[in-house]
Amino acid sequence: MTAPVHQPLNARGKLASSLPAEQLAEITELFALRRTGYSLDAPFYTDSTIFKIDMEAIFGQHWIFAASTAELPEPGDYVTVDYGPYSLIVLRNDDGGVNVLHNVCRHRGARVLTEPTGSTGNLVCGYHSWTYSPSGDLIHASAPGETKFDKSCFGLKRAHGREVAGLIFVCIADEPPTDFDETSKIFEPYLAPHDLSKTKIAYQQNIIEEGNWKLVMENNRECYHCDGHPELACSLFPTWGLTEGLIPAHLEEVWDRNKQAQSSLEERCRRYGLPYEVVEELDTRIAGIRISRESLDGEGESFSPDGRRLSKKLLGDLPDFRLGRCSMHLQPNSWFHFLGDHVITFGVFPINEHQSLVRTTWLVADDAEEGVDYDLEKLTYTWKQTNLQDKAFVELCQQGAGSPAYQPGPYMKSEYQVEAFINWYVQRVQEHLA
Amino acid sequence: MTELLIETPVREPQRIRGLEMPWNRVMGSTEAPARAARALGPWHPQEFMAECVETIPEAGGMMTLVFRRCDGAPLAFRAGQYVNIAFPVNGEEHEPVDRSYSLSSSPTEPWTFSVTVKRDPGGLVSPWVHDNVRPGTVLDMLGPVGAFHLPDADRRARYLFLAAGAGITPIMSMLRTIHSLPGTANVVVLYHGAEAGGFAFHRELAYIASVDPRVKVFYALGDRGRPEEWEGFSGRLSSAMIEEVAPDANGRQVYACGPEGYLNTATELLKKVGVDDTSIYMEFFSGDRKTLLEYQAEIALASDIAEEIAEEIADSAEDYYESQPSAFGLYEPGYDAEGTLKASGLPLEIVEPEAPSSEAGKGTSEADSAAPSPDASSFDTVGTGSLTLSFMRTGINVRIDPEEHILGAAQRAGVRIGANCKEGMCGSCKVVKLSGEVEMNHQGGIRKREIDAGKFLPCCSTAQTDLVIDA
Ligand code: FES
Ligand code: FES
Ligand SMILES: [Fe+2]
Repeated sequence: MTAPVHQPLNARGKLASSLPAEQLAEITELFALRRTGYSLDAPFYTDSTIFKIDMEAIFGQHWIFAASTAELPEPGDYVTVDYGPYSLIVLRNDDGGVNVLHNVCRHRGARVLTEPTGSTGNLVCGYHSWTYSPSGDLIHASAPGETKFDKSCFGLKRAHGREVAGLIFVCIADEPPTDFDETSKIFEPYLAPHDLSKTKIAYQQNIIEEGNWKLVMENNRECYHCDGHPELACSLFPTWGLTEGLIPAHLEEVWDRNKQAQSSLEERCRRYGLPYEVVEELDTRIAGIRISRESLDGEGESFSPDGRRLSKKLLGDLPDFRLGRCSMHLQPNSWFHFLGDHVITFGVFPINEHQSLVRTTWLVADDAEEGVDYDLEKLTYTWKQTNLQDKAFVELCQQGAGSPAYQPGPYMKSEYQVEAFINWYVQRVQEHLA
Repeated sequence: MTELLIETPVREPQRIRGLEMPWNRVMGSTEAPARAARALGPWHPQEFMAECVETIPEAGGMMTLVFRRCDGAPLAFRAGQYVNIAFPVNGEEHEPVDRSYSLSSSPTEPWTFSVTVKRDPGGLVSPWVHDNVRPGTVLDMLGPVGAFHLPDADRRARYLFLAAGAGITPIMSMLRTIHSLPGTANVVVLYHGAEAGGFAFHRELAYIASVDPRVKVFYALGDRGRPEEWEGFSGRLSSAMIEEVAPDANGRQVYACGPEGYLNTATELLKKVGVDDTSIYMEFFSGDRKTLLEYQAEIALASDIAEEIAEEIADSAEDYYESQPSAFGLYEPGYDAEGTLKASGLPLEIVEPEAPSSEAGKGTSEADSAAPSPDASSFDTVGTGSLTLSFMRTGINVRIDPEEHILGAAQRAGVRIGANCKEGMCGSCKVVKLSGEVEMNHQGGIRKREIDAGKFLPCCSTAQTDLVIDA
């Protein structure tokens, strides 16, 4: 048997096989002992080896959200996305597609593109000017006196890229999971009417949260903590995630308003042929998803104090501003809100076991004019505040996980989606380690 | 209002997205044939004489007067605007009386135009008009005037038209315009009238609604009782009525025209159903003193502009017509200080007839404003060759032959330009060209966008003319 010429970067068990058997057994044991319905043991949030396993088993194997079409509208536009040890270049090519390249020079490994976003022709490494075509081929390396230098062996490593309904996903696995096609088919019809290809970035915010990426995702899957979001509570019903029978007395009035708003939203959706049903497959498929269209409080249009629109230009061919929010959660690293007047994308990019970059991007119709159709401060206010509050919550948990006194606690009924996310995570890693 | 219709399955026509007025592109074009069509674009108000060519009685005591301009020009306007007409009601030897009437015809048929006048038995002018204006009558006019009109381009093009009584006239112009143009517009008309037989244009409205799937027309009688066979709405405008005809009203642009009381009610109701006040455009057919003064101011402004432009044309007609696209947009009605009456035309791309010349005092391009350019004629000149490269930062002129690559000559002369591949791949030699033409054979080191912005790669370029380079 001959060794493969090209050893895949994320060969199954690569890290696992390089770990001391004892440590690997210990970790495998930790996953096996995970108590359903309870938060994870501390090492899942604090241990650097588990973080490496996460990078390999989750971020190295799955489709992850990288950017939206509006971030690279024209040929040559690129964004770089970094997570764990990886840095990727996502570049709009001349054919209108996206190229995904590892941002690691094949000479001595320098980062090729150092800016987070930009526009470029060929890609030139800043160190010794090796020059790559937009598809990653090495096309120039000055080589005085070299005789046996074969440029064709030193192209940038490529990864997979997909663009669905205006969202761009990347996957660094040699063979990406095919189940993403199914997931795409689920969310595509919800997103298409918002026509993300005709949007532009109004604002992008990058915050570094002192917390493990899983805590960031967990926090996003429940509204048990929504009392901590006074700005968001104006438009988002605090009964989110609850069902009949779970409504506390002080929320009963809100619940009635919520039900009424939801039924009139559903009527509107039926009129316009917009899908609104909840699809919840958080731990029942490889590319876990939850999507639905849900009503908002007040005027029901947007994340503003009175629920009124924040941008005056409707997205796509939508006929109506009063469409609540179409919200999507995609595992492992993103969630989204699609409204009549704007879209917010959230991407989580792990840095290490205790830090994560959360990138929030506000998109408005590409013909909306700042100061005329929208006020940037007002547009971004609710989620800027909410993000800061969430950052604080995540960080509180991270601190807790670092304490010897920490012990996993029970997820409540309203946190069933957190449980589903963790269940998904545990399954994926276990499959990988198996 | 029951028209017998035989329903036959109709194929959806292929439409362009949204709505775009035919002059929208013409106004920005520098192509000669398109420039010739600019007369059809709504530039500005003018004073002109027009001859009545036809009168058409309409239901509801209205009469449509069809005119053509005496000078033979088409009348360029936007659907929804009005003209101010001088009527010699007291005979030719007395001061005429001015009245404004909305144009009811479509600007897409610009060779004739019409206004539709309702006879007000107690009025001074309208009875005179009905009795005296006949084919052959020539009248002095000023127009077009008014900010109540459809936008020049609208990719969403979803409208709710609310009309009461004679308020249908500008709405009719809008509807006729949309009907005559391709596009994916979506229009709901809600038309209030006082009596069942009094809806002007009802035949044409029924026709348009029956052949144009983009248009729906609803009728409503006020609260003065409804005849038995009436199938439309009855009662005054209400939010329930709006919700019923346009449940998606809050996503539409609303154009409303009628008497003051009706429009004030409409404002309240529209707010209630969620229409943003920046999406509401109104034209008052009656009003308090303030409203009337606003209209007077609008007409006065239009008349000033008409005069100014007439003078300009008299001074130098040729220059004037040449510079027309930049004069476009000049006329911005100023009466809507509160912003609620402003119609939103998408800004047109205005292309200067001549490429932006480096004329002094108008430095708008970045290259111009970056640094006041020194005078290249004072630079030292090195090298030989038939063309001159002026490097503005280095302060040197380099002579070069047309077949020589620019980078080498520049570097030999001491101009500091970073370079690596020298094959047009790496982009490291990229510089900005301030003037002149090059021929470039690059291999991906530069993007089309950058080339459009005036950049080039000197390593793989030769000069075709003298060049001025920002290096
Ligand atoms: S490391 Fe990139 S060229 Fe040397
Ligand atoms: S030196 Fe590489 S493009 Fe000119
Ligand atoms: Fe939160």
